[in-house]
Amino acid sequence: MDFEALWLTLRLAVGTTAILLVLALPLAWWIASGRGAGRALVQAVVALPLVLPPTVLGFYLLVALGPLSAPGRLLIRVLGHPLAFSFAGLLVGSVIYSLPFAVQPLASGFAAVDSAYVEAAAGLGASPWRTFRSVVLPLTRGSLLTSAVLTFTHTVGEFGVVLMLGGNIPGATQTLSISLYDKVQEFNYAAANRTALVLVGFSLLTLIIVYWRASGRRLVLG
Amino acid sequence: MRVRHSIGTLRIDVDFELTQSWTILFGPSGSGKTTILRAITGLLQPGFANIVSYPRLVSPTKTGTTLIDSDSGICLPPHKRGMVLASQKPTLFPHMTVLQNIMFGYPGVGSLGEQEYLAELTVSIPKLFRIDHLLQRRPAELSGGEAQRVHLARATMARRIHILLLDEPFTGLDRALRDELITDLLVWQEKSRVPILSVTHDVTEALQLNAEVIKIADGRVVQQGPVAEVLAEERERLLEQLNASKGNPA
Repeated sequence: MDFEALWLTLRLAVGTTAILLVLALPLAWWIASGRGAGRALVQAVVALPLVLPPTVLGFYLLVALGPLSAPGRLLIRVLGHPLAFSFAGLLVGSVIYSLPFAVQPLASGFAAVDSAYVEAAAGLGASPWRTFRSVVLPLTRGSLLTSAVLTFTHTVGEFGVVLMLGGNIPGATQTLSISLYDKVQEFNYAAANRTALVLVGFSLLTLIIVYWRASGRRLVLG
Repeated sequence: MRVRHSIGTLRIDVDFELTQSWTILFGPSGSGKTTILRAITGLLQPGFANIVSYPRLVSPTKTGTTLIDSDSGICLPPHKRGMVLASQKPTLFPHMTVLQNIMFGYPGVGSLGEQEYLAELTVSIPKLFRIDHLLQRRPAELSGGEAQRVHLARATMARRIHILLLDEPFTGLDRALRDELITDLLVWQEKSRVPILSVTHDVTEALQLNAEVIKIADGRVVQQGPVAEVLAEERERLLEQLNASKGNPA
């Protein structure tokens, strides 16, 4: 069992989920409650990682954040090293790649909250922030969990983006899925099998959690 | 208040002033009453509006707060207006207890005086609306009538309440409950001195309240005055109907 890769993968998944929850909450609320024409564009951009091949994303991030571009050069100055082939680069790539998985469950959860509650809260004098905190969020706990779990799992399963950006450096950018790929290339099927089983088991477990929560919620409200 | 707005085929153009403690906006369905209420609360952005609210009925000469003035671009968001609306259907927050629900409009308190006031409210309001035995229940466990009582109680406990707006609050309730609620609200109004603006299309309800009536039809104010005047025609018709049914043995 490749513990180095496992540890790296966990760090990446936890980091991505944490960052995305902070980013996705306001974005999802704006998508769900906003009325402007820009919404469709934002939703499309958010959903892009769902349809783009991961290698495309990895490539553009390499180019956009590499030493040949202005933002890339700024990043190098801040970080001390280029984004590519580093854990920080993986984090950036993962956040963008899993963005729709974080935003969409939240946005549909928020949209499902009856506007009558939001209006009642406003009429009673609650500021938009208080309404969000005290009325909307508690009513969408399930969506929050789904969003976190999907983001986490999706990050664990990443391959294309991680390979393009990370360069497969053991200990620094070699996640479990890459390690698995390596082992197959080396014909080390036994080790590959162990890694694969861990990944399958983990994914199945999280999916069970997501579906169990979803059905549990329906029973309570029914 | 002046409101002008267009929705679909209905063009609303009203201009009225609230001067009594309880005013009724009376009109048939589709006449624009709910739209006017929503414009007052700020949940709806009218095409044109000018609404100024005066702190208390007793001092009309004091400068009021402009809620919305399309000419000058002022528009207060709903949570700052003090126009508390109790919608037709109860909208109790399902994840909170009854007590948490009614306390929602009064989150934090500052001075000691305010703390005492809030403590007193927390006892008197539930007692008045007869929900003090329900305080720890969840909305899902309440009957329709109980939910309606909590719904109204919650509205009266809002910290900033300059006018209480009621959207058809008694429609669909049985007579006993309706009479109870009207009495409760009148008692509350005695103490709090907060004006009430309620919307209805029910003639008997309007007659029972004996308030000032603003009659609305097709988005326009048709008449404003005491209920006996404005609804004289409807009252006659109602009496005729009642006599007719009495005359004919079932």
